[in-house]
Amino acid sequence: MRVILKTRPRAKPKIPIEAETIIPQNFLRKNDIRVYEGNKERKLEDLFYVTTEGPAVSPDQVEVILTGDTGVIKRVGEYMNAGRIIVEGDIGMHCGNFMSAGEIIIRGNADSWLGREMRGGVIRCEGDAGHYCAAGYRGEKRGMRGGMVEVLGNAGDFAAEYLSGGEVHIHGNCADLPGVEMRGGTLTIGGDCLRPCGNMTGGTCRIFGTAHQFLPTFRRNGSEVAEYGGKRYRMAVYRGDIANRGKGTVLIRE
Amino acid sequence: MKVEDVVCPFCGCLCDDLVVEVENNRVTSVENGCTLANEKLMEDHRLKNPIRRERGSWKDVSYDAAIQETAEILLDADRPLLYGWSGTHGEAQSVGVHLAELLGAVIDNTSTVCHGPSILAIQEVGHPGCTLGQVKNRADVIVYWGANPIDAHPRHMSRYTTYADGFFVKDAFKERKVIVIDVRKTESSAVANEFVKVDQGGDYAVLSALRAIVRGKGDLIPVKVAGVTREQLFRVADICKNAKFGAIFFGLGLTMSPGKNKNIRNAIELTEELNRHTKFTISPMRGHWNVYGSNEVFTWISGYPYAVDFARGIAFYNPGETTSVDILRRGECDACLVVASDPGAHFPRACAEHLARIPTVQIDPHVNATTHLATLQIPVAVTGIDAEGTAYRMDGVPIRTRKLYEGTYPSDLEILGKIYARVKEAKGS
Amino acid sequence: MTGLLVKNAYVIDPLSGVNGEIMDIAIRDGKIVEEVGSGAVVIDAGGCLTLPGGIDSHSHVCGTKVNFGRYMSPEDMRAGRTARKGVMHVTSGYSVPTTFGNSYRYSSMGYTTVLEGAMAPLEARHTHEEFTATPHQDMLANTLFDGNWSIMEAVRDKDVKRAAAVVAWTLAAVKGFAIKLTNPGGTEAWGWGEDVHSIRDEVPHFGVTPAEIIETMIQANELLNLPHSVHIHCNNLGVPGNYQTTLDTIGLAPDLNRERQSLYLTHVQFHSYGGSTWKDICSKSEEVARAVNARPQVAIDMGQIMFGRTTTMTADGPMEFKLYMLHHNKWSNHDVELETGSGIIPVYYSRKSLVNCVMWAIGLELALLTKNPWQCMLATDNPNGAPFVKYPEIIALLMSRKLREYEMKAIDPRTEHFVPLFAIDRELDWYEIAVMTRAAQAKALGITRIGKGHLAPGAEADIAIYPLKPDELDPAVDYQQVMAGFAKTSYTIKRGRVVARDGEVIVEGANSTIWTRAEVPPEFDLNKDPEFVKKFEQYYTVRMRNYPVQDIYLPRGVSIRTEASL
Repeated sequence: MRVILKTRPRAKPKIPIEAETIIPQNFLRKNDIRVYEGNKERKLEDLFYVTTEGPAVSPDQVEVILTGDTGVIKRVGEYMNAGRIIVEGDIGMHCGNFMSAGEIIIRGNADSWLGREMRGGVIRCEGDAGHYCAAGYRGEKRGMRGGMVEVLGNAGDFAAEYLSGGEVHIHGNCADLPGVEMRGGTLTIGGDCLRPCGNMTGGTCRIFGTAHQFLPTFRRNGSEVAEYGGKRYRMAVYRGDIANRGKGTVLIRE
Repeated sequence: MKVEDVVCPFCGCLCDDLVVEVENNRVTSVENGCTLANEKLMEDHRLKNPIRRERGSWKDVSYDAAIQETAEILLDADRPLLYGWSGTHGEAQSVGVHLAELLGAVIDNTSTVCHGPSILAIQEVGHPGCTLGQVKNRADVIVYWGANPIDAHPRHMSRYTTYADGFFVKDAFKERKVIVIDVRKTESSAVANEFVKVDQGGDYAVLSALRAIVRGKGDLIPVKVAGVTREQLFRVADICKNAKFGAIFFGLGLTMSPGKNKNIRNAIELTEELNRHTKFTISPMRGHWNVYGSNEVFTWISGYPYAVDFARGIAFYNPGETTSVDILRRGECDACLVVASDPGAHFPRACAEHLARIPTVQIDPHVNATTHLATLQIPVAVTGIDAEGTAYRMDGVPIRTRKLYEGTYPSDLEILGKIYARVKEAKGS
Repeated sequence: MTGLLVKNAYVIDPLSGVNGEIMDIAIRDGKIVEEVGSGAVVIDAGGCLTLPGGIDSHSHVCGTKVNFGRYMSPEDMRAGRTARKGVMHVTSGYSVPTTFGNSYRYSSMGYTTVLEGAMAPLEARHTHEEFTATPHQDMLANTLFDGNWSIMEAVRDKDVKRAAAVVAWTLAAVKGFAIKLTNPGGTEAWGWGEDVHSIRDEVPHFGVTPAEIIETMIQANELLNLPHSVHIHCNNLGVPGNYQTTLDTIGLAPDLNRERQSLYLTHVQFHSYGGSTWKDICSKSEEVARAVNARPQVAIDMGQIMFGRTTTMTADGPMEFKLYMLHHNKWSNHDVELETGSGIIPVYYSRKSLVNCVMWAIGLELALLTKNPWQCMLATDNPNGAPFVKYPEIIALLMSRKLREYEMKAIDPRTEHFVPLFAIDRELDWYEIAVMTRAAQAKALGITRIGKGHLAPGAEADIAIYPLKPDELDPAVDYQQVMAGFAKTSYTIKRGRVVARDGEVIVEGANSTIWTRAEVPPEFDLNKDPEFVKKFEQYYTVRMRNYPVQDIYLPRGVSIRTEASL
């Protein structure tokens, strides 16, 4: 089954839409789906032109396609556990939070908190991601625990903060403090970044560009070779963060 | 008439020992206050009555009409924002939170542009703190990090730290070591025993290095970290470890420089590490006299200290998303109520521009930068001068401000109470 | 007012000697009366269990440290959120709910009176502000004196009357209810990062011992004729082997009061550990219960822990730091000048942790081994052992050996070697539960005199009607129903008004705050004591005139006046 949601023009287009109900399984039953526009509850049809093609008997056969002015839509794919969502343009904050299975593809940019506290499944963002990509919730001990977030462009500050499991791959650059408070999992940064892995206690971070202002509290621990994009690179290996009980590993291209 | 033990409604020190002379509904002299206190208490330029912007010029309106219009503006909005709150008393803040839950609004206080990052850090690692008297009576080491108290909290040093004699520290000035850490020399660094000059944006690395040294992993530290020599780092770590009671105070130099909440987290974790060796505490230098009160009130009602979004009925909290600056910058909100603060003066330009585009109502005694963006302004009494109520000092100690004379202006509480009643009636609940 | 009539109620009212009689309860003007006219509104209880409103004699729900628990825990806040509904405000939080969250949840469990376990005098105004935002329970505040400099000086000078004067002045100033000692002496030592480790350790600088503080305060309490006794959180909380400190403390208690205990020991589960490390920790509940059974002058509450996530918060700053060093999660501490301390850390009690399983067993053992239910109250030291919403589950565990067996199979199997719980068959009955959840509390707190905890004519009409029919239920078997029944009343009546129905609060609350004013002769009035005034102005950072909590903070204050025997 394919569900196409195209945004309708709105009087106040900057008011965010909260749409945690947009997950494949909800379209199996032709239920009355509700979303919020600011503090007002709306029918899905009030804000979207909805087209449905073909049948489905289980959520993994459902593909939801979002098009139009989608950059202000928040929480799409939250708690998603099967099927696929394709966003033709940009997507708002909290896309794919708590997701446990399925796939989300974003053709444009993703706003902050992409895949926060993700448990499983795959998110692929073809543009840039905002701050706190694949990060945790405030005050919670563990962030993302499983699954895969891949960003083809750049990511903002605090990418993979509190990463505890799963894999995060930023092909481009990361801004400040990627992998901060990391405790597990793998973070791969294709480009440059600033102050990676502050206070990390576990997990592995690989940086194939330049790590600017690398913190003084990591201990050099030899070199090794890593493969990336079909090429092999010699990497400096560090253990840290020594400021903490750091048992994390950072590999930086030499 | 002389009023004693007056509570100063200016900064987070919340000094309560001012002596004020009042004549004909005016403060004519202030004793014991700093220059900031004197200025605030003696100031005498109030807006006379509510004003409304009509085709580019201001018209006087009645309180009743202004209250009615405010209620209507808020009821019409799909994403109203209620901002400010740090310059009023807790009882008014409480009505504000209930108004927000009734409206499905976002409510936020000035933490959003000052110690919000400190709150985020505390939510990650907690906060080993104490009341200011604990510092006054016991501390032999004081650290000011990214803070210039002489300028921003003029009596902090004399009431609580550097110059304040206490039970166990009889001659504070001689017995106390003061360390100032900042990116530049300040008036405060001039009175310090040790000044540590950090490169701009280097605080995080310096904090990490200090933590490593305190943990006994100092061998790793290079000759210089963000402009600070290895020797000085070891010396500072040593002073701290050998303190009987140490107290760190930090300001916006740490919260608002690169790394923000992570700087504060690092400083808190340094404090925790030091507690394995001796007694150490850490405290933010809160700015507005009752900004901490707004955090407290928001928290016991909604569960969160600032940036609370009630759009979905429940309380939702996510600084960066539900914080005023972010909401305004993205042009999300379609009406704004400003209470007891001046975002027109403190917010980025894009935010101010959005405030000017939407209906913005300001409840404030004075004409200020926000007035120029507002559609409606309702003047009120000044808490601590002609209105009273609860305030929370920067260390959480609650003090009731005094009313110095019976004025003619309604208080924030009265105005907000009336707006709340109108909204409640309209909502039929 | 025409009044209210509760008909066909299955009443257990231990203080009035009523045990399971079907009767009617007449209510007028907020009080229980002999009868009401025919115009009264009638509630048919249909033979359901009807008890005086629940009373929690030790809970942390309001004030500086509780609010800091909320402030630092957005992850806990999001765990229990409800939207505004009817008269009910928004609520957030699971282990440290917002004030309205606490109030609604207590109310739907039939609780109408709650004592906040720890209020720092300097920050009392905050506690009172939150009391008014906890509108469905009458509130009382234990006032902290454990590290009070003036008290320790009086103790050092062996001047009981001076100590009594300090208590009288402070309670009146901060509108407190009773004397609380949290790790006496230890919170002052914590001002230097230290602690005391037995009741005979000396407090740094002050030259007094916890034992001396405790003994002096018990005497001072009785000199002031306060309604409640000294309420103590013993030294060495949570430390393996600490049961000895607890026994030593119990041994200090004289029998000075005919109407109630002379010493109330709180959350005793946390103080009944044998062994010497976390590896050999074991239950010493039998020893502690034996001491309690032998001494009618003490009363305790359980401090039960329940498995799951919660937040610990106490004035015991040093203990929280020790706990932080075990958990490495997050830690807050807040020392209060000249008075006390406090600490907060989140915890998770796990069935996979042997230590946690031992703790769980000890709480239940204390309740089952204390012969007289009037001496052991049901509480979790909310939220330290568990949030109070777990009370129904604890009731069910105490009433059903079968449920305990079921649970004992789910916990670490080694537990059996460290605790006596597996050998205990006792099952508590409805009457004992009624004692342990309201009547004993009213007696222990000394508030029966103001009409709390019973249903005799003249009493406050605080009543809980549970959807439980004791005649048709066997709690030993039907524990699921017991749990569900105690979780949601059919009716909670507060001061003659139905405030909650079937788990929903239906009116705006209007609680009272109960505090104690002990009248002392003029020579003991510290407001006129130059030495006290001078020290106050020298060492506090708040002016003495700005310290007392103004009457405006207690919109419906009820003061219990006593005449001090000084």
